[in-house]
Amino acid sequence: MKWVLAFIILAMAGVSEAAIKVVTSLPDLADLARQVGGDKVSVDYIVRADQNPHFVEVKPSYMMKLKSADLFLTIGMELEMWAPQIVDGSRNASLTVVDLSQGVTKLEVPAKVDASQGDVHRFGNPHYWLDPRNVRPMMDEIVSALTKVSPADEKTFRANADAYLLRLGVKIQGWEAMMKPFAGQKIVTFHKSWSYFANWLGLDIAGEVEPKPGIAPSPTHSAELIALVRSAGIKAILVEPFYDLSAPEQIARATGAKVTVLPTSSGGLDQTRDYISLIDYDVATLASSLKQ
Amino acid sequence: MPRSMLVLCCFCVVRILLPTTVVAQTSVNPDISVIPRFLIHSDDGQKLNEGKREFSRPDFSFEELELALQAYLNPFAKADVVLTLPGPDLENSKLGIEEVYATVLRGLPLDMNLRIGKYRAEFGKLNMTHPHAWPFVTAPLMQKRFLGESLNDLGISASVLLPTEDVYTKLTVDLLRGTAIGGATGMVDTTGAKPYYANTARLSSFFTLSDYSDLEIGLSGYTGIHDPYHRDRFWYGNLDFKYKIRPSAYTSLVIQGEYLLNTRTVHLEDEKSISSSGFYLYADYQFFKTYSIGARVDWSESPYSADDKASGFALFAGYYPVEETLGLRAQYARTTTELPGFTQSVNSIDLQILFSLGPHKAHPF
Repeated sequence: MKWVLAFIILAMAGVSEAAIKVVTSLPDLADLARQVGGDKVSVDYIVRADQNPHFVEVKPSYMMKLKSADLFLTIGMELEMWAPQIVDGSRNASLTVVDLSQGVTKLEVPAKVDASQGDVHRFGNPHYWLDPRNVRPMMDEIVSALTKVSPADEKTFRANADAYLLRLGVKIQGWEAMMKPFAGQKIVTFHKSWSYFANWLGLDIAGEVEPKPGIAPSPTHSAELIALVRSAGIKAILVEPFYDLSAPEQIARATGAKVTVLPTSSGGLDQTRDYISLIDYDVATLASSLKQ
Repeated sequence: MPRSMLVLCCFCVVRILLPTTVVAQTSVNPDISVIPRFLIHSDDGQKLNEGKREFSRPDFSFEELELALQAYLNPFAKADVVLTLPGPDLENSKLGIEEVYATVLRGLPLDMNLRIGKYRAEFGKLNMTHPHAWPFVTAPLMQKRFLGESLNDLGISASVLLPTEDVYTKLTVDLLRGTAIGGATGMVDTTGAKPYYANTARLSSFFTLSDYSDLEIGLSGYTGIHDPYHRDRFWYGNLDFKYKIRPSAYTSLVIQGEYLLNTRTVHLEDEKSISSSGFYLYADYQFFKTYSIGARVDWSESPYSADDKASGFALFAGYYPVEETLGLRAQYARTTTELPGFTQSVNSIDLQILFSLGPHKAHPF
């Protein structure tokens, strides 16, 4: 009898641990899923913070992550061009792929899409998660997706999301206050990753180190950018950790601007363990560069 | 055809077609990509019969054009079509079917994938890779001698993932029409009889060694009738591995190799059994994202004689200035052919130019 009871207790413990299995493309989405799902979800992600999310090799190990997942949360807007191959390879017929961009106001939606424009995303710039105001529509999608898997927990998911958004709202006010003195300042970025971030903080992106999205820097373009940085008095060149620093550093040496390496995803540094600390780090680091 | 395979085939066809009664219309075109390859070639073997060793005038030729179409048929299946226009004679070349197959991706028992059509079979590692994605210009000697251009046949393939915890382990079994081996070994069936079915199988495991490095190991087998007149059977066993380390988006190192063992019965004056083998091993180092250099060593006997040997090495370099939409590959290769009482070496230099139109999908490992 004792063994039967022990088995039932263990089985019930097992049931309570049978969390909704969520896999996300980016670690930031994993953090948001954890915030909403709490102990009702187990969360994993695919792209490390030091990886370029545009270019991910299709590895069987990623397929294994999705094999038993309930939800796959993605940025969408064709950021994860590699995702369909991994989803297909997972052989998970019950997997639901969730595009978190549904409620986001898109920037830079191109009128024309062809390879002459570089790596242009036809649905617009997909780097919207770097504007924390977009977390609200993203969280709405996460709540909705989790609720479909576990309708009984809808209130918990909504309450968790609201509590997080409240905390985030306070942080947003702080970040905006910190960056208010720099409103209207021009910056240069390596890739078009920072359009939403700059739009939120009122910064003006005067140019990119890439001549076109996804196209490697060229000497001619760098020379034009050096002239631009000098004439506009630009102080910061924002670079993601996974890009080569040689072209930005060359421009910085010629102009006195500061190369500012800002992660676009959490988890790469001790100071960027989650989404809020990522934006904390990015805002503080950029403010420091612009102050010089 | 075995009854069980016939049932499997019917089930596969029904699975592909059934949902189309629901999805009546679609306005979405398939993904279309076009990849032409051109070649400038010179070697010093063309006048060896005259006792002269001199490099030939570089010959600029059209190597091949691949036209690939891919789309989902329905939520359960997708289809791939790869048409090929082989060179070098553009005027008389005809568009052929390299691959045309449908794959049922989901909805089957055991999470099985089923493929039906004409396709590159899962035998070894390189066989599944189209030549435009190779880091070198010419196929390894082992591949050429034992598989021809590729092991590409009409067939049905079933694959399942084995329950090996977090390690991705896949078992694929194919029933093939059996015509590919004729093309590989130059045997022509003059009997007019239908070919005998062939079978391949591959067991592969993928190991994540670190955040930056992975290893795949595969074991394959291939058997069929290579001489329909005498019903002589062949057996291939193949061991492959691929190791890749990518410490950054700009740098990577790939080391890949395969060893193939062949056993077959042949009727010459009398029936006898032949065993022969071959291998290749290459390393390809990518740096600054756009450049790559590498080397390959090759050794292979003939499928029909262990006395007919070929060995060689190749040095190759690649330049991909804009995300592999344009590629330039240069290769120097030295190939030595050995027969009893005869040895000949040929040096060759190739420059391959290719470009790619259409969607550029993520590379599989």
